[in-house]
Amino acid sequence: MVTLDTIGKQNLRFFVINSKTYFKFYLIKHFILGSVTLSPKASPQEAGQLERSILRVQQEVLRMGTLVEESFRLSHQSLFEGDVNAVQQIVTIERQIDLYYRQIESNCATLMTLQAPVAQDLRKLSAFMQLVRDLERIGDCAQDLSEMSTKLMKYPNHQLLPEIAEMSEHAQSMLATSLVALADLDQTAGARVKEYDDIVDDAYDRLYHAIAFQKDIPGVVEPILLLGLIIRHLERMADHATNISQRVTYIVTGKRN
Amino acid sequence: MSALNFLLGLAVGLGIYAGQQYRFKRQLKKTLRSYTNDKDGEVSLPLQSLIRRELSDLDRQRKKLEQDKQAWQDLIEQAPIGYIQVDGYNQLIGCNLSAKELLRIDARRSLRVRLLLELVRSYDLDLLIEETRSSQRAQTKEWIFYFTRYVSPQEPELEISTEQPLKKIVESIALKGYSFPLSNQQVGVFIENRQPLVELSQSRDRTFSDLTHELRTPLTSISLVAENLLSRLQDPERRWVEQMLKETNRLTELVQEWLDLTQLQSAPNRALKYETIRLYDLVQSVWQTLEPIANRKGISLTYNGDRNLIISADRSRLIQVFLNLLDNAIKHNPPEKEILVQTALYIPEQTSNIKQVKIDVIDSGVGFNASDLPYIFERLYRGEKSRVRSQKKLTTSPSDGSGLGLTIVEQIIQAHGGAIAAKNHPEIGGAWLEIILPLDKSNNQ
Repeated sequence: MVTLDTIGKQNLRFFVINSKTYFKFYLIKHFILGSVTLSPKASPQEAGQLERSILRVQQEVLRMGTLVEESFRLSHQSLFEGDVNAVQQIVTIERQIDLYYRQIESNCATLMTLQAPVAQDLRKLSAFMQLVRDLERIGDCAQDLSEMSTKLMKYPNHQLLPEIAEMSEHAQSMLATSLVALADLDQTAGARVKEYDDIVDDAYDRLYHAIAFQKDIPGVVEPILLLGLIIRHLERMADHATNISQRVTYIVTGKRN
Repeated sequence: MSALNFLLGLAVGLGIYAGQQYRFKRQLKKTLRSYTNDKDGEVSLPLQSLIRRELSDLDRQRKKLEQDKQAWQDLIEQAPIGYIQVDGYNQLIGCNLSAKELLRIDARRSLRVRLLLELVRSYDLDLLIEETRSSQRAQTKEWIFYFTRYVSPQEPELEISTEQPLKKIVESIALKGYSFPLSNQQVGVFIENRQPLVELSQSRDRTFSDLTHELRTPLTSISLVAENLLSRLQDPERRWVEQMLKETNRLTELVQEWLDLTQLQSAPNRALKYETIRLYDLVQSVWQTLEPIANRKGISLTYNGDRNLIISADRSRLIQVFLNLLDNAIKHNPPEKEILVQTALYIPEQTSNIKQVKIDVIDSGVGFNASDLPYIFERLYRGEKSRVRSQKKLTTSPSDGSGLGLTIVEQIIQAHGGAIAAKNHPEIGGAWLEIILPLDKSNNQ
């Protein structure tokens, strides 16, 4: 009983001393180092290695997004404004997009295995891996569109072309909204992009109807075939853009819908 | 004894202390002197006051510098030219009002330090910054920035549904960036709005081609009337009408050339009819049409290169190219000298599959004026005063030409997917026009 008591006392004293030293350390940390570590803007130099790596990957994803956007825009120009140089440019951009795609995918895999991220970081990386595939598909579609535009150039402009151009602009705006949402990590964008997607889908149905039920068509069917394929591609691109914004929602909330 | 020892010790201690103090003060003075740039020499004040004086002086300087810095920052903020600054991680750390407007940076998005690409999705700008950082040299670049409108969370209702054509979804603006490497891997970029310039030059070209289009019909009827008159008139009046007809025809030609140019520029591919041509035959046939003028000056043509070289191009356009080039060359060539045309296969380093041919047209004249070189291919440019003067004595050419010749040549070559450059030949000294053309149509878009 007595021995236990002394041990208890000793422990208590030890604890008191310890807590005092801890308190000292606490003070030192706060008042001397505080000004350094608790600065309002934690720059990436001071952030952890994982954060820095994720920032780098995020920048690459954004760069790839920018390229895809440009490629989409060029395909629009080649289709509706008769820009012949655009086709050549898209080919080089597409090559770069492919490079980014592979690089980002392997970077994400490396980070996930070596750094073992959790929670949002993990969601971010896994969403990036999915998202770059969507981006890459949009790029592929843009290239296809530009190839179709060279075939379409031989024929006189179709009366539905302005309406298709509008559809393409809507799809581009969707992609832009998704990319902004990705940059801002904005969970609400998913719903807004979905609304846009409905507009594009409606346009697709309407245009499909208009193209399919034309009568008394002179000449070959190629231009009509091409128009059908073009609206199909645009609709696919809009879908991929919707997917991107939904993956952003997943990054932020961790929920899928 | 012990008191003596104590005093001795005290004295030694005090001595050491005084010595230390003295050394310390001397060091302090030395440091002070090395930092002050005192003009009035040594000031005999106690050390304390000296230090205080120095510190307050420094403080004043610091405040002044801070004020200056603030003034400069305000100035840049209000500057009519855009300015952005990014750090080594490409995060935007500074951006003035003009830049926000030019690059459409949304003020409503959160303004924490963030990646430039998150705010401005422009690959060209990103590339410019990367190049500047890796080369550590100032760069300039021109590009067209496209901005796709997006739906921001602040205004979720779609303005598109109102179907307003005036608010376009994709806007474009021509920009020019001047980037400079800064310390700590930072990069600063000045951004200039070129959009008004681009629009102005476009509207100028459009106005001019509209004008020429309007001129063509009346000019044709004037020349028809003049031709009719010619057969009915006697000599004094007949000469006047002849003169008039000549001038009218010259104007018609100018108008036609301008229209050609406009057509080539707006739809380069549709304006071309591709054929397979033996380059040597084409050059020879052009030379035959020019031979009368050349013979008068005793100029000969030398052709170097493979005579069986076959190229796919628009025959009549290519004839026009060589007609213009050789005609120019004859005009500026001194008599009894030769003009050199040489052709060679040309394979660029990076892409081996595109076969190109390099054609050089070199005359033996005095060459281009160095100050004219940048403007040679501009429309209606006719500088080259020294060239004109130098051949005034042997003036044989009937007219000055329209000033469109080289512009048309450039447009035709570009429409074929080629390139042209004007230089002076380092050895011969004459004007040297270097054309690079792809051999097949399939390889150029």
